[in-house]
Amino acid sequence: MASTFIGNYVDSKMLRLKELLLTMQEFFYFALRAFSTLPKAKRYWRDVLDQALICGVESIPIVLVSSISIGALMSMEVGNLLEEFGAKTMLGRSTSNAVLRELGPLLMGLMLSARYGSRNGAELGAMQISEQIDALRAFGTDPIAKLVMPRLLAALIMFVPLIALSDFAGLQTGALVAEYYHKIDPGIFWNSIYPRLAPKDFVVSFLKAPVFAIIITLVSSFNGFSARGGTAGVGRSTIKGIVASSGLVLVANFYVSKIVLDIMH
Amino acid sequence: MIELRNVTLKYGEKVILDKVSLAVQDNTIKAILGPSGVGKSTIIKLMLGLIKPNSGQVFVDGVDITPMKEANLYPIRRKMGIVFQGNALFDSMTIAQNMSFFLRENLRLPDEEIRRRVMEQIRFAGLEGYEDQLPESLSGGMKKRVAIGRALIFNPKMILFDEPTAGLDPVSSRKILNLITSLKKSNDLGAVFVTHIIDDVFAIADEVAVLYQSKIIFDGPTEKLHESEHPFIRSILSDKILEL
Ligand SMILES: Nc1ncnc2c1ncn2[C@@H]1O[C@H](COP(=O)(O)OP(=O)(O)OP(=O)(O)O)[C@@H](O)[C@H]1O
Ligand SMILES: [Mg+2]
Repeated sequence: MASTFIGNYVDSKMLRLKELLLTMQEFFYFALRAFSTLPKAKRYWRDVLDQALICGVESIPIVLVSSISIGALMSMEVGNLLEEFGAKTMLGRSTSNAVLRELGPLLMGLMLSARYGSRNGAELGAMQISEQIDALRAFGTDPIAKLVMPRLLAALIMFVPLIALSDFAGLQTGALVAEYYHKIDPGIFWNSIYPRLAPKDFVVSFLKAPVFAIIITLVSSFNGFSARGGTAGVGRSTIKGIVASSGLVLVANFYVSKIVLDIMH
Repeated sequence: MIELRNVTLKYGEKVILDKVSLAVQDNTIKAILGPSGVGKSTIIKLMLGLIKPNSGQVFVDGVDITPMKEANLYPIRRKMGIVFQGNALFDSMTIAQNMSFFLRENLRLPDEEIRRRVMEQIRFAGLEGYEDQLPESLSGGMKKRVAIGRALIFNPKMILFDEPTAGLDPVSSRKILNLITSLKKSNDLGAVFVTHIIDDVFAIADEVAVLYQSKIIFDGPTEKLHESEHPFIRSILSDKILEL
């Protein structure tokens, strides 16, 4: 009795593992196909443009909100801390590390995963369960080229200026908080940043843009394409997509920083 | 001609189709009758190569499509039009765009020709004046006719209908059935239609196959259905109720 119970338990774990591996393999093919259809961008330029508007222009507010709050928070908290050590002149430097390299991109990634990822997941999931994706295939259009590639390309292009915007707004807010809250002269604030800014700061920051773009669009699109079982199924697959892409954004955020900083010291 | 030969299809451990063989001749209307969830939509998707069987073969005009890659399937699928169960119209596109989309995608035609073909389908579907509306503003019967117009856009030899009358009121449903028969008469168009409504079968089908518990339990001319001894068929003929 007990042994069959354990046997069943192990069996079911093995089955879950097998399913997971199969899903990962499917995802890998899906990603490959999305990249291999990039040359069709010219044909679907209108879709690319539409998606660029959605993930780029329409994401500006959310990116501003997250970068401003990070910039303000870091400047305020770190300023208080540095004051204890009498090192307030270092505030710019400490804020810029957080804003440019770590928390700025991370929060932006999470926000975009919630915004752009959920939109993709729900939209493509609804198309899947209403058989619109089957219809594309039935009439001779590759749904990955028509639906996924434009989303991927748009995100690859637009996330870069979004990161730039996030960096700029975060630092600017940090400077403002430094000036009005900590009474630090903006010149001193910026002076502790500029001379020490190194290429690696920008590499870390801007490398996260394409990495997040790939994770967010491919994971959410894949989950949309896998939606089954009516409207409830769309809800389930959208959630799965957001959870998975947010988790991967967290992990990738760490590793991009680590790898780049290891290489560039 | 479309033929399924010994087709078995499983989802996970669940056997949906068990060694199903079935042929549809050109220029005939063939019904596939079966209760809900038996695998009717699955059969249509197999015929188009949208899903692959676990074993067995699917032939379209004598060519085995089962081993084919997606890209090679596109020209084959264009020989058949499909009308999906829920129409599967693109909800962000107008009626005219829904009809012209695949023409633009697949054939290098001048804009004039595309407009001409789309207008032809719009007139045929009786939807003049609705070209620029979105699908959501149309009634169920009208949406179905848009889907049929779209399915005809490549001048196929055969149309596959997935429950064409499900969810329609009796009048719309009558109209759709008449449309299917008139397409056969005027355009020599064959049709496969899957349904769980036995009245539709008697109304327009030349032949009928009955799918029950993963197997084909009858396949022949519609008028011969009455001669079947199978208890399931006897019961649907007497009650006309198609539940398991
Ligand atoms: N992708 C899938 N994964 C797992 N099971 C599936 C999948 N697609 C369909 N099924 C199952 O296969 C069976 C047959 O599905 P199918 O849609 O072909 O039935 P149907 O006869 O068209 O039913 P309906 O009357 O609901 O349209 C159903 O039990 C369905 O739950
Ligand atoms: Mg069905």
